[in-house]
Amino acid sequence: MAKKIRIVLTLQLPAGKATPAPPVGTALGPHGINIIEFTKSYNEKTADKVGQVIPAQITVFEDRSFSFILKTPPAADLLRKAAGIEKGAQTPKRESAGRVSRDQVRQIAETKMADLNANDIEAAMKQVEGTARSMGIEVV
Amino acid sequence: MAETSGRWLELSVEADVEAVEAVSEILSRVASGGTTVEPAFDLVDEGLDARVDPGRPSVVRAYVPAGDRGAAERAAADAAEALGHLQAFGLRPIGEVTTRLVHEADWAEAWKAHFPVIRVGRRIVIKPTWRRHRAKAGDVVIALDPGMAFGTGLHPTTRLCLVALEWLADRGRLDGARVLDVGCGSGILSIAAAKLGAKGVFAVDTDPIAVEATAANASRNGLSEVIRAGVGSVPTDGVPFDIVCANLIASLLVDLAPALAAQLRRDGTIVASGIFADRLSEVRVAFARARLDVGEVWDEGDWVALEAMRR
Repeated sequence: MAKKIRIVLTLQLPAGKATPAPPVGTALGPHGINIIEFTKSYNEKTADKVGQVIPAQITVFEDRSFSFILKTPPAADLLRKAAGIEKGAQTPKRESAGRVSRDQVRQIAETKMADLNANDIEAAMKQVEGTARSMGIEVV
Repeated sequence: MAETSGRWLELSVEADVEAVEAVSEILSRVASGGTTVEPAFDLVDEGLDARVDPGRPSVVRAYVPAGDRGAAERAAADAAEALGHLQAFGLRPIGEVTTRLVHEADWAEAWKAHFPVIRVGRRIVIKPTWRRHRAKAGDVVIALDPGMAFGTGLHPTTRLCLVALEWLADRGRLDGARVLDVGCGSGILSIAAAKLGAKGVFAVDTDPIAVEATAANASRNGLSEVIRAGVGSVPTDGVPFDIVCANLIASLLVDLAPALAAQLRRDGTIVASGIFADRLSEVRVAFARARLDVGEVWDEGDWVALEAMRR
């Protein structure tokens, strides 16, 4: 079909538990797509990943039909897992929330390479490292 | 989330692609529901695909319940402060946090307002399943649930095909016809063809979701016996069809012209749509080579559809 893309959006949502409440409703509502079909389909596809944040990249077409694909978990979630912590530091400049190795940063960058829009692995690592530091996670 | 206070505070930040992950993490600290990222993109493949442009900023958004306005403002300030530290971590600059109040809506229902009953041509009516419509004599009503398959009737390429099908029906060329619908999407064209007189429709789409949607919409219209849907592109065998419907894009129509022609019986008609006006001449050339004689041409806005007869 002659699809024409209106907008592309990535929603970071709790796997298996998306509802029409914001950010889903506020992000998709103005584009008039079938929100119930989206949340139902998203929850079905992510049911085995409950407890994780799984981003969905949604493509809305000009006739308000849509499609979506699932992406890798946010760098922050992968970093928390690697550092073995629940959440980042409240004041990252002063306290340390945990630590990850450069190898772990590289692994996360490799996992997320396709979704980071980075030119090479070094650039992807820089993004992951910046995220880590802003969370108060030291890279050692 | 307990609050359904009626209002939400939207926080949005423009961020370089490099900082999107970090900004998103910071916003998610104050907005438990999750964040959204809207990248800048360019259309490629005649609008069929989008490519993120890493040179332009993305917009990251999150929503905080604003029932307690003070708490929401504090959350925004906390996020702004954390974002202020980001540059110290070696990521490219990001924009300021901007806020906006968003009113609560019944999100589960509100989207339906975008789908009215629409009339196409003289007698085709597209009716979302939840809407009422008092049909006039001669109306051909297509009941449809819009969703994850293209073909809601809101796009000119779909409407042009419907007009072309009606034109064929007016000339008796759909009566008892066998129809092939290539790129069936929601199944809207298959349903229209069946309701306008076709006795059998074979609908194909490379997307399994579209094939499911076609089967479901066919069933809603009581046409499960008439419309058969399958995953795939143009078939390469079988008895040629009387009518082929192909709402694709110009480049695909050019590439597939010989295969589409091969599925048509002699003097059979193809309805081709999804052609951007400035690509029409290419399609004409490819069709002529495939022994398809272009007859009527319809246009709406920048879009063109045509019918052609196989010599």
